[in-house]
Amino acid sequence: MKKRRNWAPYLLILPSVIYLAIFFAWPMARAMTLAVWDADAVLRLKAEASAESAGAGTLPRGTQVEILGQQGNIVAPEELTQRNLRTERWFRIEAERADGQPVSGWAQETRVRVREESESGEPLAGTIRRKLGSDADPLTDVFSEASVASAVAGRLEANTRVEIREQAMLELWYLVRGEADGTPAEGWAQSRYIQVYADDTTGRIDRGNAGELTNRYIQAMVNDRFFWPALWTTFLLMVLIIPVQFVLAMIMALIIQQQLRGNSFFLYVFAIALGVSDLAVGIVWYAIFTQYGYLNSILQGLGFIGAPIAYLTADTRYWIIIAIWLAEVWRATSIVMVVVVSGLQAIPNEVLEAADLFGAGLWKRIRFVILPMLKPSLQVALILRTILALQVFAVVIALSGGDIVTVLANEAYRQYYDLRNVNVAAAYAGLILLLSMVSAVIYLRLVRSNEEAQA
Amino acid sequence: MSASGQLAQTAPVQASAEMQKVRQAALRRQRLNRGVTYFIAILICLWVLIPIWFIASMALTTPEVVRSYPKGVLPFIPFSFETMRFFLSSQGIIPGTINSIIVAIITLLLSTIIAAPAGYAISRYLFPGRDFYRLSILAVRAFPVVILAIPLAVVFINFGIYDSVYSLALMHTALTLPTTILVIGSVFASIPYELEEAAQVYGCTPLQAFRTVVLPLVAPGIAAAAIFTFVMSWNEVFAASILTVRNRTLPAQVLSTLSQSSEPYQFAGAFFMMIPAMIFIFVIRRYLFNMWGQISK
Repeated sequence: MKKRRNWAPYLLILPSVIYLAIFFAWPMARAMTLAVWDADAVLRLKAEASAESAGAGTLPRGTQVEILGQQGNIVAPEELTQRNLRTERWFRIEAERADGQPVSGWAQETRVRVREESESGEPLAGTIRRKLGSDADPLTDVFSEASVASAVAGRLEANTRVEIREQAMLELWYLVRGEADGTPAEGWAQSRYIQVYADDTTGRIDRGNAGELTNRYIQAMVNDRFFWPALWTTFLLMVLIIPVQFVLAMIMALIIQQQLRGNSFFLYVFAIALGVSDLAVGIVWYAIFTQYGYLNSILQGLGFIGAPIAYLTADTRYWIIIAIWLAEVWRATSIVMVVVVSGLQAIPNEVLEAADLFGAGLWKRIRFVILPMLKPSLQVALILRTILALQVFAVVIALSGGDIVTVLANEAYRQYYDLRNVNVAAAYAGLILLLSMVSAVIYLRLVRSNEEAQA
Repeated sequence: MSASGQLAQTAPVQASAEMQKVRQAALRRQRLNRGVTYFIAILICLWVLIPIWFIASMALTTPEVVRSYPKGVLPFIPFSFETMRFFLSSQGIIPGTINSIIVAIITLLLSTIIAAPAGYAISRYLFPGRDFYRLSILAVRAFPVVILAIPLAVVFINFGIYDSVYSLALMHTALTLPTTILVIGSVFASIPYELEEAAQVYGCTPLQAFRTVVLPLVAPGIAAAAIFTFVMSWNEVFAASILTVRNRTLPAQVLSTLSQSSEPYQFAGAFFMMIPAMIFIFVIRRYLFNMWGQISK
């Protein structure tokens, strides 16, 4: 071990620190944010129809508003890359009316069919589109400025040929007035935030441009009808799985410790499950428990049952729990076994020999020598297993389809994938994180207080 | 066990008759214990192997047999690759397998490249913050995966790299990195530093000493760690399901079609996913304790 203090070790661990900061710490912070931060909860109004102007109060999303005025603003080209920008294209046109009068001004892209383009794709000329519907005004307004609020410079018939001189991207701003919690607010906002009703004078705020802390997502999670079953099942599975796993792992580890003939074979078989995916394990146990599966085949072959029993149905939830329990014990005991074996290897042989010599039986040796000396390993294994048990996922889906019996990780997946509800999914993720940390702290505390009591 | 036997042999010849009795009792007990131990060991082996036996015999027969009832406990009758072929020719399985392999290989490379220096640092240097670093790595190792997948999906969508095998590999690297660091650390720790020092005394530069003495010794251990990284990535299903839509990995593909798929497809899929993992665990079985032993120290 090099004890000299220098910069080399820091340089060596730097890549891993950076990597984990980017792909671990940051997403974790993001997850917590997603769960409690409503990113578009309020709309900040502006005093004038310009992004630079002063603020004029805020309105929450969903507020009903009156639309008092509108204005089209030309959007600078560098702002066009902004997300969610709702723009419309306007053309500055010159045309000649049927009676020979020249008309020049601005018209929306939707009113002009482009007929000629330059080689670079710039529109050069076009014709006025025909208006649909028999009762529609047959003439198209040409505005003096690039805004429907500006004065009308002239009116053109359908199919009039127009020369396109210039084009501009506009974003419409609305002057809105609304009331939230008894305080009225009036100001300008971009059209992308406002949904206008058919009467053109009222609307509602579709989404905001500023966030606020919220417990909405956590409430949505708790009020979801799958939440309590998922939480309950997760705990139930944890309580069922972990003790059995520890006893089984202990037995496996003691067998490995005996150095029997064929030890490496036993070791391999005990460790196989370490490399098997949880989805595969779920399917394996599905093959056993499905109605026409192995369990029924064997039971019927032995004459215990007359007809196959359906285990994995909504009416026989407990069988699904049992199947998940067996599958998880089958799959995840090997990790505990490996941790316990390496813990056992750290116990000096002399101690066990001494216990043997003094006539301590197997049980006494386990109870008074092995278990106390294994405590640190068991503690680590316990924390690891508890945290992994909170993440049981694919086994449950394979055995129950994911709705008859559900667990927290499955709910996070459902919220994210089926319901497209990232924030609630993040709330589930946060809950799993919280439970993991709480259980780790409890285990550490429990062991420490035991030690203090003994001391 | 063997210790008491040895003790008995080396005991003074003039041992009392009582001592003899104790010795015989111990021997008898030992033989009985050994028998019981074997019995339990074989029971546990059956517990592990029988489910694998079942799924293998389902995967390596015809789909008709898979659908039949009652199922025979004797496997492979008739032996056929038809179920496997049916599974492999299903939509998205071959691309999924290729994706899985790409993701796992990128993960393996990234993870090993980043973890190897860190592992060397924690096993060879005592530096302020070393314990904190190790503890943080352990904490990261134990953290729930689900936490990461959902916000990372949002981030990846924003950066336009969502639904790609490369972004999934980035995520899997974050997942496997802590384990790989700890394992490689323990591999380095098992090679005494004195060897390196001796090489330097005989005129090697530190780099030469590392290359010619340490590297050949740690290479198998690092390879084992890399293989385990591969297996973890190959098996991972939650993040893969969340981070990919069209470029699914094999487990994600199987999971997404699970509820609509037939039993032959599911069973063959499970077996297919298990094969590489079982082979790799066999290859690295000697190093397993290196890997997980670290975690409890």
